[in-house]
Amino acid sequence: MSTVAGAVAQVATAGAQVVAVGIGGPVLVGAMRKVRCRIEGRVGPPIGQPLRDLRKLFAKQRMQPDRSSWVFAAGPVVLVATAVVIAAIAPLATDGPPLGRTTDFFAVVFVLLLGSVFLALAALDTGTPFGGMGSSRAMTIGALAEPALLVALLAMSIPVRTSNLPVLVRSGLDHPQLIASPERILALVSFLVVILAESGRLPVDNPETHLELTMIHEAMVLEYSGPDLALVTLGASMRLTILLGLLVNLLAPWGIADRPGAAAFAVGLAALALKVAVAGIAIATFEVFTAKLRLFRLPELLAGAFVLAVVAAVTALVVR
Amino acid sequence: MSDLSLVITAAAGCVAAAAGGALPARTRVPVAVLLTWVACGAGLVGAVVVLRTGHPLVLSTTRVLPLTGATLVLRPLGAVFVVVTAVVAVAASLSWLGYAGHGLSTRTASATVPIFVTSMLLVPAAGSVATFVWLWELMAIASLVLVLADQRTREQTRSAAQWYAVMTHAGAAAILLALVLVSGHAGGQTFAAIRVHAAHLPGAVRSAAFLLAVVGFGSKAGAVPLHVWLPKAHPEAPGPVSALMSGAMVNLGIYGIVLVGDQLLGGGPAWWWLVVSALGVVSALFGALHAATSTDLKRLLAYSTTDSMGLVLIGVGASGLFASTGHPAVAAIALVSALLLVVNHAAYKGSLFLSAGSVQMATGTRDLDQLGGLMRSMPVTGGVFVIGGLAIAALPPLNGFVGEWLLFQSLLHGLPTSSTAVAIAVPLGVGALALTGGLTAAAFVKAIGVGFLGRPRSPGAAAAREVPHTMQAGAGLLAAACVVLGVVPMVVLPALERAVAQVVADAPARGVTSSVDLRLHGLRGELAPGLLAVGLALSVVVVLGFRRLAERRFYLRLPVRRAEPWGCGRELQTARMQYTATSFAEPLQQVFDDVLRPDRDLTVSHLAESRYYTEKIAVRTSIDDVIERDLYRPAISAVYGWGRWAARLQNGSVHRYLAYGLVALVVILVVIV
Amino acid sequence: MSGPADGSALELLSGVVLVCAVVTLWRRSLSAIVKALGVQGVALGAVALVLGVAHDDGVLIAVGCLVVMAKGLAIPALLGRVVAGDPDSRETAPVVNVPASLVAAGALTFLAYGATAPVVALVPTAAGRLIPLGFATLLIGFFAMAARRKAVSQITGLLLVDNGIALVAFLATAGVPLLVELGASLDVLLAVVVLRVLAVRMTSKFGALDLDQLRELHD
Repeated sequence: MSTVAGAVAQVATAGAQVVAVGIGGPVLVGAMRKVRCRIEGRVGPPIGQPLRDLRKLFAKQRMQPDRSSWVFAAGPVVLVATAVVIAAIAPLATDGPPLGRTTDFFAVVFVLLLGSVFLALAALDTGTPFGGMGSSRAMTIGALAEPALLVALLAMSIPVRTSNLPVLVRSGLDHPQLIASPERILALVSFLVVILAESGRLPVDNPETHLELTMIHEAMVLEYSGPDLALVTLGASMRLTILLGLLVNLLAPWGIADRPGAAAFAVGLAALALKVAVAGIAIATFEVFTAKLRLFRLPELLAGAFVLAVVAAVTALVVR
Repeated sequence: MSDLSLVITAAAGCVAAAAGGALPARTRVPVAVLLTWVACGAGLVGAVVVLRTGHPLVLSTTRVLPLTGATLVLRPLGAVFVVVTAVVAVAASLSWLGYAGHGLSTRTASATVPIFVTSMLLVPAAGSVATFVWLWELMAIASLVLVLADQRTREQTRSAAQWYAVMTHAGAAAILLALVLVSGHAGGQTFAAIRVHAAHLPGAVRSAAFLLAVVGFGSKAGAVPLHVWLPKAHPEAPGPVSALMSGAMVNLGIYGIVLVGDQLLGGGPAWWWLVVSALGVVSALFGALHAATSTDLKRLLAYSTTDSMGLVLIGVGASGLFASTGHPAVAAIALVSALLLVVNHAAYKGSLFLSAGSVQMATGTRDLDQLGGLMRSMPVTGGVFVIGGLAIAALPPLNGFVGEWLLFQSLLHGLPTSSTAVAIAVPLGVGALALTGGLTAAAFVKAIGVGFLGRPRSPGAAAAREVPHTMQAGAGLLAAACVVLGVVPMVVLPALERAVAQVVADAPARGVTSSVDLRLHGLRGELAPGLLAVGLALSVVVVLGFRRLAERRFYLRLPVRRAEPWGCGRELQTARMQYTATSFAEPLQQVFDDVLRPDRDLTVSHLAESRYYTEKIAVRTSIDDVIERDLYRPAISAVYGWGRWAARLQNGSVHRYLAYGLVALVVILVVIV
Repeated sequence: MSGPADGSALELLSGVVLVCAVVTLWRRSLSAIVKALGVQGVALGAVALVLGVAHDDGVLIAVGCLVVMAKGLAIPALLGRVVAGDPDSRETAPVVNVPASLVAAGALTFLAYGATAPVVALVPTAAGRLIPLGFATLLIGFFAMAARRKAVSQITGLLLVDNGIALVAFLATAGVPLLVELGASLDVLLAVVVLRVLAVRMTSKFGALDLDQLRELHD
């Protein structure tokens, strides 16, 4: 009986987390946009506008290029599906995996990569030069960001001798000195740069642009309309939320639910929302004062992140 | 009883070869394929028995090789490779059935394919130096004949075969030298005898033998800088043969290194394994980079074979390193990950090469810049290629992901805490691993996207039709293996652990517990690939349901509209406006310009009347293999130059030649006196 | 029944062999060279006969007769016919001129003495002290092959080498098995036959037997 109840509780927790991320994602994007506009001296659209945009998009007709195959239709679905899976198993509001027994950081990274790869494939399926352009640039950035990401992961895993995400988060709760250690901080800075690269924020990619010279993510999704575009936008915002949630939980895990029970979970969700909002506003403020980097300057940025991650890993090894 | 399986394998192979050479055209290939299946099946049965019971199969006879005797000993490590080869051979020969009228149905080819397969099946079972060398040479010669089977008259095929012949025989010479060195000192040529005496060999002899073995077997596995034959020979061979070579033959290079390093020499100092790992890192990076910038489909696959084998070498090197520093548990995990990478590589590379062969047969070209739009006309082949591509990019829920996870875990947990040099080298190594993963993902997005998606870029691609069912089935079999190994890797892990127990002393019995999820024994690391796969499938269903609900909630449903994509206001959207493989790889090529050093040729031709008017501007860029251009070609020209200089000694005068003899004789006598 | 008479007979005959070898280096006329070869062959056979009589070995006596007939009579006759066919039968411009060749022959004889010292130590009989002469003949024959232009001179050198080996064999072991001797003789006979054919061809093509003309064929 308790196992069934336990299973139901787990599913409920996971579902709640998914819904929270699904709704919180667009809200986060809206908040970031609002902050940018306010700093720039404009009023800007309301915070809930992305949700309204989604509703509008679901009402429009779906379109596919006439020569495309199933890959084009599968792209948005896989993108959102991967984000849903990660939202269900990552320690965002609770410090144990909401569903299942284990969540490996490596698995999280690669499931998200699956989503990106499918989107890149779908972009090539459109048969337009924009699709190829966005896909080519996105895969280049992804390839260059992976070393920084995995070495940062390694640096964070070495002190606790495991790459299990819940253990990483819980170790921060139990031993705050692990968070203040140079290896964790450097690794998280590197992780932040990778998040900016993977979710297409400045200075890597401008999410508001539609100029050929500057598009990366937008070029990939140019052909989508209606529910497909809604899914793509939702998926992108969910990925940003998840990555920022992981970042803040590794940096400042306080408030996360470490006991079972609905009250603790609610507190955890609230804490997550607060922390992610703070992170998002900080990023938006940074974006106002920064310009987009040339595509061929990005390897320098990502190499810098890689070097930081290597320094973090070496510190972790030597100190231990 | 199970000893018979090896005999049946050999016998079936010989009969298949005879049948392939003797029968008339219509029955030649099916009979040869059937008998090859019998050989593979027998080998599979014997290997599975060995893996389940742990008892080796021993077969020894002096009738086959009269001077030295033939000894076959199949132990768990070799059994893993036999299983891999058998499965790939079954799929490749299935594809061969459909590969009609393309050069693989001649008498020579039909007789050689069974010989090739049988020799590959028996090499891991060889138990003495003579047997091993005979089978190795047989395999090399058979594969050489098969490389020339298709399109024999093309200049590129002949040049590729030349490179392949020279390098594979140079490698075989190195291997022979290593084995003879070891067996000469040990005084017996069976592997068991060598193992017994190995501990008494002087250190210099052991290291020399190991390095020679690494050179010879590394060349076969495609390790940089001995890989130059791979991107030449694998594309020129016909589809099924490429799959056999890349999916089964290169694995035997890895088997050889583990054989000599662990089995024959009984392990060695740490620097041996550092050399292997360094070789692996360089191969992985180099192969991934060239795969990402290659525009020939099969050359891309060949370079990514170098990449995969580099990863395996990293695992093997890490395992040896951990074993020599006294961490057997992590060493076992590292070796399990290396073997799992080998099994995975066979599955996805085999399916990729078979699909590429299908594409070449259907469109007549391998050039990615001429392909496109094949997913609609060849859905099965395209689907198989997508599965293979996602698998090799190490994406869940397929098998590549599990192998890479295991490798990463072994590196994470095995980091020794002693020296600062290692503390810097390992994160850089992990970074290199990650970069190769990213480059491989880019390479295969390019291969799938430019090759199969979008619009056809040439008439050949536009006219493509799906290939015969047998070819689809062959590739599909290996793709299904990718999926199965990704969702339930537990089916192979116990067998791999048994093989590893043979190699790593004091390895724990179940280093990687596998019931529903993978759990590392004694270390904190867990992965649930099956649950992940189920979760992904469920999420897709959930998302589709959500989309349907949302559509219905907010509007009445309209059907999907298919229309011309947005062209920025252009009237005509042609296939030529799409991104080609060259343009896709261009950002990466620019980033890695110093490593790739492409050839750029710009010629501007002017009108005859006036130099102020240009008639034509031609740009040609090509990316050559840097190692071939800067290491091999100068060496070859140096040899030619030396030969030309030495030819001056031969001026045609008989007296000069006789005088040479006289002078030599006098010198010798003077020395004696 | 070996006595000082046999010993001095052997010395005389071995000396004749060596002197004939030097004569082939000295004389320019090809017919004189061939005659010297004939004398050398007879002397060689005589060595075998003397040794056979001294050791009472019938086989050795038979071998001696065979050698006299083959190397002393038959081969020089064949070579003579080749020389007769060549209009210009003088070695006019050798690679190494005659005085230098003679000096070289002396040097090679010294070398032979030095190199065969261990062998002489192995064979303590009187015959054993003459082994260096056979070896010197061998070296002089090799030198003749390298230093002379005409094709006939090449075969002369080969024959000198063979004679030197045979002399060493007779002196060291008091004879060789009949079979070996037969085999060696057959080889030499074949070589001479080949040369006859080659000489005919060369004469018809170049009009002369100068081996260096073969360089025209070089690329």
